[in-house]
Amino acid sequence: MLRFLLKRFLLAVSVLFAVSVIAFGLFFALPADPVTGMCPKNCNAERLDRVRTELGLNDPKTEQYANYMKGIFVGRDLGSAQGGQCAAPCLGYSYVNSESVTDTFARVLPVTLSVVLPAAVLWLALGVGLGMVSALRRGTLLDRISIGFTLTFASMQLYFVGAVLLLIFVYTWKILPTPRYVSPLEDPLAWAQGMVLPWLTLALMFSAIYARLARAQMVETLNEDFIRTARAKGAPKRRVYGRHALRAAITPIVTVAGLDVGSALGGTVITETTFGLQGLGRTAVEAVRQGDLPTIMATVLLAAVFVVVANLVVDLLYAFIDPRVRLG
Amino acid sequence: MRARLVTAAGGALALAVALGACSENTGDSDDVLDPNQVRTGAIATDPKDSMGPAPEVPGATRGGTFHILRESKISHLDPQRAYSFAGLMGSQLYARTLTAFTDDGKGNVTLVGDLAETPGANVDGDCKVWEFKIKDGVKFEDGSAITSKEIAYGIARSFSPDLTGGPTYLQEWLAGTAQFDTAWQFAESPDSLPPGLSTPDDKTLRFEFAQPRCDLPFAASLPATAPLPPAKDTGVNLDNQPFSSGPYKITKHTPGVELVLERNEHWDPNTDPVRHQYPDRFVWSFGADQTAQTNRVIADTGDDAAAVATGAVPAELVSRVAGDPAIKERTLISATPNAFRLAINTTRVTDLSVRQAINHAIDRSSIVKGLGGQYGAVASTTLLPPATLGYRNHDAYPAGESGDPGKAKELLAGRTPELVLVTSDETVAQERAGHIKAALEKAGFKIVIKPVPADGYLDTVKKKDNPYDIWVDSWAADWPSGAAILPVLFDGRSIKDEGNSNTSQLNDPGINAEFDRVLAMDPVAQADEWSKLDERIMKEHAPAVPLYVEVVTVAHGSKAGGLFIGSIFGWTSFVNAYVKQ
Repeated sequence: MLRFLLKRFLLAVSVLFAVSVIAFGLFFALPADPVTGMCPKNCNAERLDRVRTELGLNDPKTEQYANYMKGIFVGRDLGSAQGGQCAAPCLGYSYVNSESVTDTFARVLPVTLSVVLPAAVLWLALGVGLGMVSALRRGTLLDRISIGFTLTFASMQLYFVGAVLLLIFVYTWKILPTPRYVSPLEDPLAWAQGMVLPWLTLALMFSAIYARLARAQMVETLNEDFIRTARAKGAPKRRVYGRHALRAAITPIVTVAGLDVGSALGGTVITETTFGLQGLGRTAVEAVRQGDLPTIMATVLLAAVFVVVANLVVDLLYAFIDPRVRLG
Repeated sequence: MRARLVTAAGGALALAVALGACSENTGDSDDVLDPNQVRTGAIATDPKDSMGPAPEVPGATRGGTFHILRESKISHLDPQRAYSFAGLMGSQLYARTLTAFTDDGKGNVTLVGDLAETPGANVDGDCKVWEFKIKDGVKFEDGSAITSKEIAYGIARSFSPDLTGGPTYLQEWLAGTAQFDTAWQFAESPDSLPPGLSTPDDKTLRFEFAQPRCDLPFAASLPATAPLPPAKDTGVNLDNQPFSSGPYKITKHTPGVELVLERNEHWDPNTDPVRHQYPDRFVWSFGADQTAQTNRVIADTGDDAAAVATGAVPAELVSRVAGDPAIKERTLISATPNAFRLAINTTRVTDLSVRQAINHAIDRSSIVKGLGGQYGAVASTTLLPPATLGYRNHDAYPAGESGDPGKAKELLAGRTPELVLVTSDETVAQERAGHIKAALEKAGFKIVIKPVPADGYLDTVKKKDNPYDIWVDSWAADWPSGAAILPVLFDGRSIKDEGNSNTSQLNDPGINAEFDRVLAMDPVAQADEWSKLDERIMKEHAPAVPLYVEVVTVAHGSKAGGLFIGSIFGWTSFVNAYVKQ
């Protein structure tokens, strides 16, 4: 187990290193000048060049990359124009937002986590639940209704579903408040109320794929001999379907879920925009639009970290769920 | 506040420029602009006009929380760095300036002294030396007094290369060069002031310029002259928590989410001719886009009843808002000083008759319709927008609403010039280019449209040697004087290789000399001269085709009172805002 973890950790580090080099390379390949964000209306070429030198943008690229990496691990001094000393993990300073990128993340990450993680629990529960029910009642009306239900939502666009739900629950019936983020530590009830619509929308949209996957896997597993044996031996239905069948069927679902959650954490842009939430995805897209290069680089790196970590977690879960899988 | 005020000159009845800005709307005509109205604006030299308190807003009540909805965070709260509309208008709540404009929301503005007793004394009559006397009784949020020293420090810190983003007029004028941050180094001169700026005593602030700067009183109305005690200067962090000199102070700021302002008990209304302090708090909420904001204030529930959606009503909701009288009543509709023109590259389109033909052929009504009709734009035939002091409506090439292709063909005398029209690739811009092409081709022109990516568009057209003939350009002056518009856009001596604002590249010695002559005049006398010069430039050179002035449509909740669209920047003003109880 330890060897496995070590190997995977080293692999993760090399992937992240490669991503950082590529992202940094793109930073320079882009035509956007990182400094024009500093004085949009009335800058002249001379002053811009002075600013560039002060910010180290005229240094050789390898030196800039080394400084950036150093900042992530031990922090670095950014100069008075960028808030001075920047503690580790220092991800640079955004002129567009007038704050260090780390501060931006501290602000927007909780929003994305609050949207994605509970929604993931919901869509998994809903999807796997519906899938199981459909598999057990295969061919019946219930089966067709539940699959039809999930497919209908999966075929719609999120901004449409979200907008319709907003119209119904917030603007017309007025039973839910406008979605907004409140820290769960401050006011858990307001947090939940503010997040209900995004959770509901994501759950409806994403459950379809899990429902179909769960249904297909369950149907296959239910035909296995060991299920018949268990039933023949008199094991209660719940134990057979829950512990035995589901456990065997769940591995592909775990894979997809891991990738889904990992990439969703990188930013559910459309959800955040539809509901007016300032999360990681929205921040990333705005950074691209505004040419805010420090923020773009940092979000690329962070998104890569999420996906790499999610993969690792999924692999670990495999070993836990399915004893046939050997790690290493 | 009834939407009827008679303008001083001409006695023409001002049709409502700002509908629904107040509690009742008698359903005035839909015209947002009276083309025959002459704007009067003044500089108030009588100290009485600069004294507070500002006139009471009829029906206003004290108390409550006023909500302001906005999509993206305000880029700079630091008054010396604010230059976006939200930053400029928002800073009026917490940053007082040397001078300020009183504004009736219909384009009638008066420059008065805000922290200063008058809008400045032109000491030697040559606009090179200006003195301001600072009022007594003006205080910061901690009760300490505001003197000329704190205002001078505010101006000095704007020289710092760390604190960029704000306007650079004062810095460039004092240093005498565009490279002001090397001419005088802020960081290395902690106890001194920039060249030309001095404080003979606590009540006097003195500017000495090498060149005449008759626009100084106007430039002093920008938040660059907001005061700051040196001890409270937190450098780039001031952007998150400015130190207030106005009726409200910032008590909580979560960037990108919320900005809370509460009453500043040390603000004395008797010293302030512009602002009020009706609500207990202002709360900016960030995040919702235009559609969400407008939907929320239309729904008018909970906090949103006392909210204003600063993101204008989006195109898809305009018909809903305009069609429902209950909602229209709480919508502000106003022309802005943002003037759009079709710039003609005079170095490539050298024949005056061709430029005049373009002026005759242009179809303004189709462009305005494409922008949402009266809720998006108002056609204009002058280079100066109607919000300019001394504005006079004229049309150098009368061609009717839809253009006169016949007259254009006559001028072209059989020629069919091929012109390249460069446009930004945004949907609105491309549509607009399509209308322009259609109109010009009726007169025999051959138009080739070249789209470029939106974020590179300005850089492209502001390059001196660009390969294009015509494009749409816009300009919104920082103060409503022709001096901030015509010389910037048409003085040949200011043409730069990049970042050029004289995009038509007009360089006529006669016109340049006229600019010099008018700029040296007293600011009040200048007003008429600029409109005359506007007409002259159009008739003699036709370097552009005036197209339209942007109209902004902003919705608010039923409990949000006292709102109007400011005449200087064409953005929501909060100085009279109150929450209806």
